[in-house]
Amino acid sequence: MGTAGSTVAAIDTQQAVKAGSPSNLSVTAYRSPQRGEGSLDLDTLGGFALIRETRTIQIPAGETRLRFEGVADGIEPATAILSGLPVGVIEKNLDAELLSPQALVARSVGKSVVLVRTHAKTGRVEQIPGTLLSDNDGVLFQTRAGVEALRCSGLAETFSFSSAVGLSAVPTLSVLVRTPEPVNTIVTLSYLAHGFDWAANYTATLSPDRKTLDLGAWVTLANGNGVSFPAAHVQVVAGRVNRADAADDALAGQEWVSTTGFSTEPAVLANCWPRGSTSDTVPAVLVISAQPLGSDRLDMYGGVVPAALMESVVTARQRVIQEQLGDLKLYRVPALTDFLSRQSKQVRLLDRSAIPVASVYSVKDPESAGHSPGASDPLLYQPATMLLRTKNDAAHHLGLPLPSGMVAAFAVRDGNRLLLEESGMRDLAVNEEVEIGIGVSPDVQVRAVREATHTQFDHAPAVPLVPGVLSVKQLQIDDVLRVEVHNARTAAIQFELPVLLAGDTRIIRADHSFAIRKGRPLFALTVPAHSTAILRYQTARSELRPTQPDEAQ
Amino acid sequence: MHKAFFRLAAAVVALAVIAPLARSADRALAVTIYAGDLALIQDKRDIEVKGGRQRLEFEDVSAKIRPETVSLSASDLSIVEQNFDFDLLTPAKLMEKAVGQQVTLVRVNPANGAETREQALVLATNGGVVLKIGERIEVLRDDGLPVRVIFDKVPENLRARPTLSVTITSSHAGQRPATLTYLTPGLGWRADYVALYDEASSKLDVEGWVTLTNSSGTTYDNARTLLVAGSPGQVDSTAQRFNYRPPRERSSLQHPGTESGSRERLGDYYLYPLAERTTIANLQTKQVSFLNVHGVPAERRYEFHNAWLGASQTPQSAKSVYSFSSSAHAGLGDQLPAGILRFYMRDQRGDPQFIGESRIDHTPMGFTVSLETGDAFDVKVQPTVVKRTRISTFDWQTDMKYDISNALPRQITVHLYQDGLYGDVRLTAESQKSTRPSADTAEWSATVPANGSVAVTASFVTRF
Repeated sequence: MGTAGSTVAAIDTQQAVKAGSPSNLSVTAYRSPQRGEGSLDLDTLGGFALIRETRTIQIPAGETRLRFEGVADGIEPATAILSGLPVGVIEKNLDAELLSPQALVARSVGKSVVLVRTHAKTGRVEQIPGTLLSDNDGVLFQTRAGVEALRCSGLAETFSFSSAVGLSAVPTLSVLVRTPEPVNTIVTLSYLAHGFDWAANYTATLSPDRKTLDLGAWVTLANGNGVSFPAAHVQVVAGRVNRADAADDALAGQEWVSTTGFSTEPAVLANCWPRGSTSDTVPAVLVISAQPLGSDRLDMYGGVVPAALMESVVTARQRVIQEQLGDLKLYRVPALTDFLSRQSKQVRLLDRSAIPVASVYSVKDPESAGHSPGASDPLLYQPATMLLRTKNDAAHHLGLPLPSGMVAAFAVRDGNRLLLEESGMRDLAVNEEVEIGIGVSPDVQVRAVREATHTQFDHAPAVPLVPGVLSVKQLQIDDVLRVEVHNARTAAIQFELPVLLAGDTRIIRADHSFAIRKGRPLFALTVPAHSTAILRYQTARSELRPTQPDEAQ
Repeated sequence: MHKAFFRLAAAVVALAVIAPLARSADRALAVTIYAGDLALIQDKRDIEVKGGRQRLEFEDVSAKIRPETVSLSASDLSIVEQNFDFDLLTPAKLMEKAVGQQVTLVRVNPANGAETREQALVLATNGGVVLKIGERIEVLRDDGLPVRVIFDKVPENLRARPTLSVTITSSHAGQRPATLTYLTPGLGWRADYVALYDEASSKLDVEGWVTLTNSSGTTYDNARTLLVAGSPGQVDSTAQRFNYRPPRERSSLQHPGTESGSRERLGDYYLYPLAERTTIANLQTKQVSFLNVHGVPAERRYEFHNAWLGASQTPQSAKSVYSFSSSAHAGLGDQLPAGILRFYMRDQRGDPQFIGESRIDHTPMGFTVSLETGDAFDVKVQPTVVKRTRISTFDWQTDMKYDISNALPRQITVHLYQDGLYGDVRLTAESQKSTRPSADTAEWSATVPANGSVAVTASFVTRF
């Protein structure tokens, strides 16, 4: 039953020509669309890249299958664009069946193989010619002696294959072209490939007087593919780009075959017959589930290289150059660089010094300092959070797009840097406000106490729901809240309290003035050194309550 | 029980001996692929038929064949029954089928490799294999020492691959052409568009490719291929499960059109025949060009949708949206099969860079298509709920403010949408005139100066 033989024959009827090796490479990395802020994860690179390369081709007249070997393993074949061919492209193909132990066995079903049996003690090797019968849930083969199952006997057994039966060793894109005369030209191939990612990594160093900040940043980009890009133009693009999810596709339901190291192709399992023994005391039904114990895994290659094996390269001499790309920001590494397989690379993004900042204390969870029932727990103190605020404009020594990433804030002590806090930053356009968290201050403690609640019926008449039985009446509920800010520091601090008001809750009275910021009332107070500031405010909200009609009168 | 099995096995073997294989080497294939993981295969091959009742086996049919859809047509043939044997050959199955039969055991001495052979009768395979050797009863490999089990042959109804067999009767022998027709999942197609946007002239160059994928487990050699834009209704529950698509966030179709193209149709489906025969290899992705248009006028716009009572602490990016027409006049001039459209734009060095992609529906000619490519880095909107007031027992007033900022060095227009205006919502005040694309949505077109910002405010009276 030769199932695969005819395939190879059909492809062989055209002339197959290998394109030259890629040159003039360009890699543009895009961030993982799912990651809003934060740094990249070398184990799961969720971004992608646009790869462009040129190759020299020499094709004879007639119909030719042009093979582009060594494209990135994460190639999305549907995105391949080939330009520069003077003749019509009939079709493009990506053959996803790579040379792997599983594919070798699958392709060899019905073909002759050589069984190699090695004796464990003596090392004597026996070579027995036979035919591979099936590879469903275990491998069966036939020799002159009869039919046997692979690796069920307890002997060291493997196959030796005669040829690689039409499988490609590296991901290969092939293009069928027809030309009336021989062509000798240079073509450009571009495609999207997954297994890449990049992020910005900021370091913010706070001056001892806490009035200015030095901001430096790296672009960290990583290639999780098995293909290297030597002497490449490398770019990264900031901003979220839309990806149409291939899973929710007309082709969904098919296994969209992954050709990367992330391959999910199952390993060939040498499953045997049931292997229960007389020493098993488990019930017979359970013995069936113990069957995988009798499975030997054939070799399984591939898989993403763990992060520890990723090489890391830092380049500080040069800085990326930013340009506008539609509504996105493109950063170009100015010189050609080697972007190797399983490598993460860092290039300087920016260095800005003496950025004036305002240092502000606030509460991490302003909601809990507002109206939740827990807020009235008089013992619930929470330490204030500290943040630095500045504006992304030229007056503050910034004024450039800041792509999202992780910010590590440092303070300097005796010439050594101390990490204060790591936090995520979203994409910031010019003129946006920049806030960098620098940790929590146990010296500044905040608590909120609900001092009193008043309930009074509104003047509006009750609305009957079921006449004579049930009415609904509007209530006004007033809360008096006290917020204490205790400052144990030796200097005065700026404290900000944003208040979250749900529904129609409004502040009707307060002993401090407040402003509306980001859509919320915000109290800003100065708390002198070694003292406590008390803020009292009263809120009002309405509620509907069902009442008896007579009670409502 | 064992006797019955023997008789059955013997019958199967007897039948198999006379079953000719319908060779696939010189078959003529026609493959019709629908847009929803379904294909109709017509497989014409010459078959050698003897007179009388016999079994025909068809190799190289799709491994995912839906056997209930198979039909075979040939002159002077009548079908007795069709079988799809999916009892696969595995070591465990082979041992199970050997119950009551003799197998050969080869014991290998681990110390010196010496082999001893003996015959054994397989008694049972429940949990472990129990053998009868001479008068002893033994459990296979209970002691963990190497034992090879050799079977004489493979039972005929166990197969390496699922196989279709048809039992037929024919009044006379001879070679004749036969056509096998069946439906199979595992083959699918969609369109992939490459659109290069030129910012200076606001024009698009669009190239369209048909992308075929084959995961049906079989290669279709030299097939005449026809693609159908549209997915026929299927009752099959598995197909329905696979065809599930989550609800879309925004439709790609904007303004309707009513033009007709020159493409071939079948009923209301558009047909895309491939110009030449092609080989669709297993696990292959294949692309064939079908559209190439230059200089289509396109418009770039910014959109922001806000949910009811949507508010955010930080500004959110507006969406970059590109719209163009599929009309013959100033458009693509073709109907567009559903697929993915990828946008590219040239960087300052002149190289095209990817700027986002979007799904596109089956689009007739004359429609305006509007596709989102991603977030605009420099255009941000911060919606805030300024105030909620209960103005009477059951009525609320909501004051909204939308701060729009533009860090681009040019003036832009942002299309701001407030969604979720269900029921008897009234828009009582607004800072600029809105339009209502639907009862549930209010739209403002806000002009934002270069490197500047504007605010739009609106008040709604609602029951919620």
